[in-house]
Amino acid sequence: MIKVTDIHKTYDDGKVQVHALRGVDVEIKEGEFTAIVGPSGSGKTTLLNVIGGLDTPTQGSVSVSGIDIAKLSENELIDFRLNHIGFVFQSYNLIPVLTAKENVEFLMLLQKRDEAERNERTTKLLKAVGLEDQINKKPNEMSGGQQQRVAVARALASKPDFVLADEPTANLDSKSTANLLDIMLKLNEEENITFVFSTHDQRVIDRAKRVITVEDGKILSDVTK
Amino acid sequence: MLLKLAWRNIFRNKRRSLITTSSIIFAVLFAVFMRSLQFGAYGNMLDNIVGSYMGYIQVHNKGFWEEKTIDNSFSVEEIEHLTSSENITYLSPRIEGFALASFKDESKPVALLGLDAATEKEHINLDEKVVEGHYFSAEHKGLLVGKGLRDIMKLKLGDTLVFLGQGYQGSMASGLYPIVGFIDLKTPELNKRTVIMNLDHAQELFALPGLVTTALVGIDGDDWQGAQQEVIAAIDTNALEVMNWQEMLPELQQLISVDKAGGTFVLMILYSIITFSLFGTVLMLTEERSFEFGVLVAIGMGKNKIIQVAILETILMAIAGVIAGLVLAFPIVLYFNINPINLSGQMQEVVEKFGFEALIPTSLDPSIALTHSGIIFLIVLVVNLYTIFKIKSLNPTTAMRK
Repeated sequence: MIKVTDIHKTYDDGKVQVHALRGVDVEIKEGEFTAIVGPSGSGKTTLLNVIGGLDTPTQGSVSVSGIDIAKLSENELIDFRLNHIGFVFQSYNLIPVLTAKENVEFLMLLQKRDEAERNERTTKLLKAVGLEDQINKKPNEMSGGQQQRVAVARALASKPDFVLADEPTANLDSKSTANLLDIMLKLNEEENITFVFSTHDQRVIDRAKRVITVEDGKILSDVTK
Repeated sequence: MLLKLAWRNIFRNKRRSLITTSSIIFAVLFAVFMRSLQFGAYGNMLDNIVGSYMGYIQVHNKGFWEEKTIDNSFSVEEIEHLTSSENITYLSPRIEGFALASFKDESKPVALLGLDAATEKEHINLDEKVVEGHYFSAEHKGLLVGKGLRDIMKLKLGDTLVFLGQGYQGSMASGLYPIVGFIDLKTPELNKRTVIMNLDHAQELFALPGLVTTALVGIDGDDWQGAQQEVIAAIDTNALEVMNWQEMLPELQQLISVDKAGGTFVLMILYSIITFSLFGTVLMLTEERSFEFGVLVAIGMGKNKIIQVAILETILMAIAGVIAGLVLAFPIVLYFNINPINLSGQMQEVVEKFGFEALIPTSLDPSIALTHSGIIFLIVLVVNLYTIFKIKSLNPTTAMRK
């Protein structure tokens, strides 16, 4: 499903060259619950960005669902992300002026799905993340944990091939973290949704089914539990 | 959804939106009021001097305007065929001469205007300018005297003025005429020196049977340039001259041009301030939200849609500002249209020295509101070029790192 082949990523600001990724090869299959771990600056976020088409590799290829995303134009990439990838961010990044329901519905509107389908799916997803009674609340009226659960529902709304989550529990307390992980694991197991995280949160690492450790831009270990 | 997003975003930073909208309201209010006042003043001047006295186009014997003597006269029969033209509604023949007017031991040089009482009543409502006494009629034959001259010579209705002057080809022009009314020609200079009599009396006084010095050409609509060309094409321009109001009153035209340029300069300063205010809003909006824009691009929202939302926000503020500005401006403009500003003190003296009435009504011309609303929207579109540039060049990972 995701095939990363000999990926290199070098940042060059004209003075210093930073090699964020140095020849990474990895394959992630449908239904996996994978954590990419490593210390700060190890390259895990860069790897996630390259997989998500947010960053282009300096060298190598990234194939997602059979499409070499490195060859897509900017607009094609935006379209590709809309239809194939769900994103969950560390700081939730919900649209502040929209309610929980509208945030979840937002990507489906961009996909031009009809109202009945949008309503049905929004209700289902918000129920799945346990927020069916918070649908009309705006992000600033919800706790961090609740916002992150809305973010998960939003990520799933567009029916993506997989969900990329960049340190999704970094701003959550233990209870919210456990709650969020329960929801994501349940979605993974019951609906076969693929999750790929970058994290250095041991609570996430403990519950991940596969752990890829990155250090200095290279894969140090790849363990399937 | 885009409209909903834009609308709600306006209320995210209420203070900033309020400041931006208020600056637009002020700009529209100020610009519309100022321009209405300016155009109203021009309109009043033109109406008083051109529309209700001189006419937009006049026909004279060639050389009359350079040398205004009775000898430079022509027969109105030479141009009577003009009334058959589509854009020419009437001809009003006049005699413009000069004489010394005497009453008791007071003598003043006056401009004697002989005109067709019925035509001038019908087309330029001269009768409405009579402030005391009566307009010409079968029972009231005599003189209409400018109210300024009345005050200078201490005249009353029924008094008789004695005229002494030069008639056609060196003949003596003299006569006694009773005053039947006093008239307000709306310009102090004209009021101080004008005496009006019926055309046939003037022809008799100046020994000009069948001749006139001037013919006002009444036009249909505002296209006096087109009408002037039409007249030129239809008459013998070797013998006659056709002049428009700008040629006859170049100082008025220059005054309007200079004043318009001054007004435009003030408006340019105002719009520069508004442009910077709007640009400030757009700059802050774009910079503050670059992280958010990065997130939206990351999750799959096209850049063009983000641009639409950002531009919609400023357009919505502009619409609100323009509507509020116009709503506030309208009653003020209407009030000063009904109750013109009456200049007093030094300003009154300056304006009257130019020969104009010291009253400034505002103009209700809707094109003023439309023009300034259009300028505001144009400014909004121009400042949003920055938004377009920033969003188009946005890199989601860089934006989200900020």
